[in-house]
Amino acid sequence: MFVWSEATILHADADSFFASVEQRDDPRLRGRPVIVGGGVVLAASYEAKAYGVRTAMVGHRALRLCPDAAVVPPRMSAYSAASKALYRVFDDHTPLVEGLSIDEAFLDVRGMRRIAGTPSEIAERLRRDVRDRVGIPVTVGVARTKFLAKVASGVAKPDGLLRVPPGKELDFLHPLPVERLWGVGPATAAKLRQVGITTVGQVAALEETVLVSMLGRASGRHLHALAHNRDPRPVQARRRRGSIGSQRALGRRRRSAAELDTVLIGLVDRVTLRMRKAKRVGRTVVLRLRFDDFTRATRSHTLPGATARTEAILVTARGLLAEARPLVERQGLTLLGISVANLENEDAVQLTLPFDRRSGGALDAALDEVRARFGTAAVTRAVLLGRDPGFTVPLLPD
Amino acid sequence: MASIDTVVSTTMKVTCGRDELAEKLQLAGRGVSTRTQSVQILGGIMLRAGGGQLHLSATDMEISLRVSLDAQVEDEGAVVVPGRLLVDIVRLLPAGEVTISHRAEEGVAEVTCGSASYKLHTYAAEDFPRLPEIDPETAFTVDKEAFVETIARVSRSSSRDESRPVLTGILVRFEGEKLIMAATDSYRLSVKETALDKGPGQELEAIVPARALSELLRVGQGGEAGTISIGVQENQIVFGVDDVWLTARRIDGQFPNYKQLLPETFEAEIQLPRDEFLEIVRRASLMAQRKSPLRLRFESGELTVSAQTQDVGEARESLPMSYTGDTIEIGFNAEFLRDGLESVGDDAVRFKLISPLRPGLILGESDDFLYLIMPIRLAG
Repeated sequence: MFVWSEATILHADADSFFASVEQRDDPRLRGRPVIVGGGVVLAASYEAKAYGVRTAMVGHRALRLCPDAAVVPPRMSAYSAASKALYRVFDDHTPLVEGLSIDEAFLDVRGMRRIAGTPSEIAERLRRDVRDRVGIPVTVGVARTKFLAKVASGVAKPDGLLRVPPGKELDFLHPLPVERLWGVGPATAAKLRQVGITTVGQVAALEETVLVSMLGRASGRHLHALAHNRDPRPVQARRRRGSIGSQRALGRRRRSAAELDTVLIGLVDRVTLRMRKAKRVGRTVVLRLRFDDFTRATRSHTLPGATARTEAILVTARGLLAEARPLVERQGLTLLGISVANLENEDAVQLTLPFDRRSGGALDAALDEVRARFGTAAVTRAVLLGRDPGFTVPLLPD
Repeated sequence: MASIDTVVSTTMKVTCGRDELAEKLQLAGRGVSTRTQSVQILGGIMLRAGGGQLHLSATDMEISLRVSLDAQVEDEGAVVVPGRLLVDIVRLLPAGEVTISHRAEEGVAEVTCGSASYKLHTYAAEDFPRLPEIDPETAFTVDKEAFVETIARVSRSSSRDESRPVLTGILVRFEGEKLIMAATDSYRLSVKETALDKGPGQELEAIVPARALSELLRVGQGGEAGTISIGVQENQIVFGVDDVWLTARRIDGQFPNYKQLLPETFEAEIQLPRDEFLEIVRRASLMAQRKSPLRLRFESGELTVSAQTQDVGEARESLPMSYTGDTIEIGFNAEFLRDGLESVGDDAVRFKLISPLRPGLILGESDDFLYLIMPIRLAG
């Protein structure tokens, strides 16, 4: 594998973004613990985090931990404006900016040494510019891979800068706790802890096959690669995806209609969750099929309106699969995939008449909330119980 | 109406005029299933010759269409022929007499007209689904014009989203001497009440696939005044108009309680000349592409309609009006707003609003039609 010999990837991450914006706009909040959002903590300032307050914590629990905290209601439009200002600063430093979320991005500054200085100098200037022009602190990690740059910014928080020099990467990485690995949440960390693994170095010492047997194939391979700092993904300039999809290999065994339906449900759950996370809605549902003889086919259906509702996408996908049934019977299915194309941003939201609770996507929203708080495996469908949900595969935000 | 008992016969031979056959086939062809990969025979039209007539039927299991025409029947019998193909062949045949014959042992139907001759592979008539009959005991008739006009006013609001079957239907309700239809796709709701000279004599309610009613509208629109026969059965509803019979599967489920959705009070009521307003909306809609909303700004004495699409451009146009309340700026899907204004049958529309995030109500001069429309939340 080819890796650039110079550390040119920056991961810039605003610290406690919502809370920082609040502290910027109200001087009385500066230096004080600040909690954004009443019912559930949407963001906590570093002062509040010091008391153990965490994002997504229930409000009264947070206040018990930190009774002096100032609780302020969220001002989404202010955060959105701050995010735009933040990205303007990013864009002024390099053309290669890959946004991860409203307050976090990768920047590649390769080949800019002569005009802009070393990556560390650029990172320092970036931090200063964000402070001057947006008025909030930002932490930057610098490394050869995206993954390591993100780890570095995580370690350097708050308001810090950390460069991991080429050649010293594993020295830096291996003493860190496993939670620093991208994709290791509380559940995976618990599994690893059970067998006495707490540091990245210990993960790196394991054979890939051992990890795969513990965590499943995708997660195992992924962690093995990360623990050895193998992450070939380049920084890709902001280009929103045209589609979001997921697929699953089925092996050559014949599957019953019920089994295929179960696989389909799992895929649709996963794709629609990602769409909602990315605030994207789509109109075209595409079913991908691969047969015993390795030939492929796709079937698609375009809905009258764009949606990210699990139910709507699932019904459409089931219809497509039912239509392809004779083909599947004849040729044997070895891979099933689903993707939603014709994606749009969910900005100008068409409101719906409030005649039933399903229509508003309340069920989807509630499930998303549970998964965001307690992990993707926390709630699942009865038909998916006991199956490998495939959810633990870490994905870049869409 | 004619019985459609399956006749298993070894031969069938029938002759009729091309024009009428083409017209009737076109009609029946609308019932042919487009999803033929699963059940091929549903892509077919059943032809049955008997009693001096040729009966055509087609179904996709959601709706069925049956129509008959006079014909010279030489041999009574029945056969199922690929629908679209037969429709196209007959449409393109030269003018004249068309003869269709079928010998079961050969498994083909022969269509001849002058020197043109076609052989089509067939399906067996006994494999074709039995279509529901109208029950003369419970059937009743209503004024055709009133019924199709009511369909026309509400059908656009029905949903095409198969994931919520109830919304793909139109609620049809008979209440005393009144016919009520309601449709909603959850973004807008249309309700039309029509007074009838004569109702069915009892309260009746069914959710009927909007597709079926749109077909009925197509069949029933224009032509002479008359009546529609309606038979409401447990799972089916049967309509007869002129010589066409249309059956539809009733949709199970609970139609949303729309009365509960209608706000009791509004903050603003604005009266506008419909045609002028509609023209402006149509023009401005051209610049509301890719889901961009149409913006309506109501302020003292003036309504401004504007639309903007990134990288395309923008439109803005004003209309004087008598309004004195607070300024309201509200966004709507351009197509939904247009549908609502077009469905109002009167010269003036009344537009009632509460706030930019609450539904707007569009009415004509009378209260027999209403269109409730949800806004698009405007950014910023």
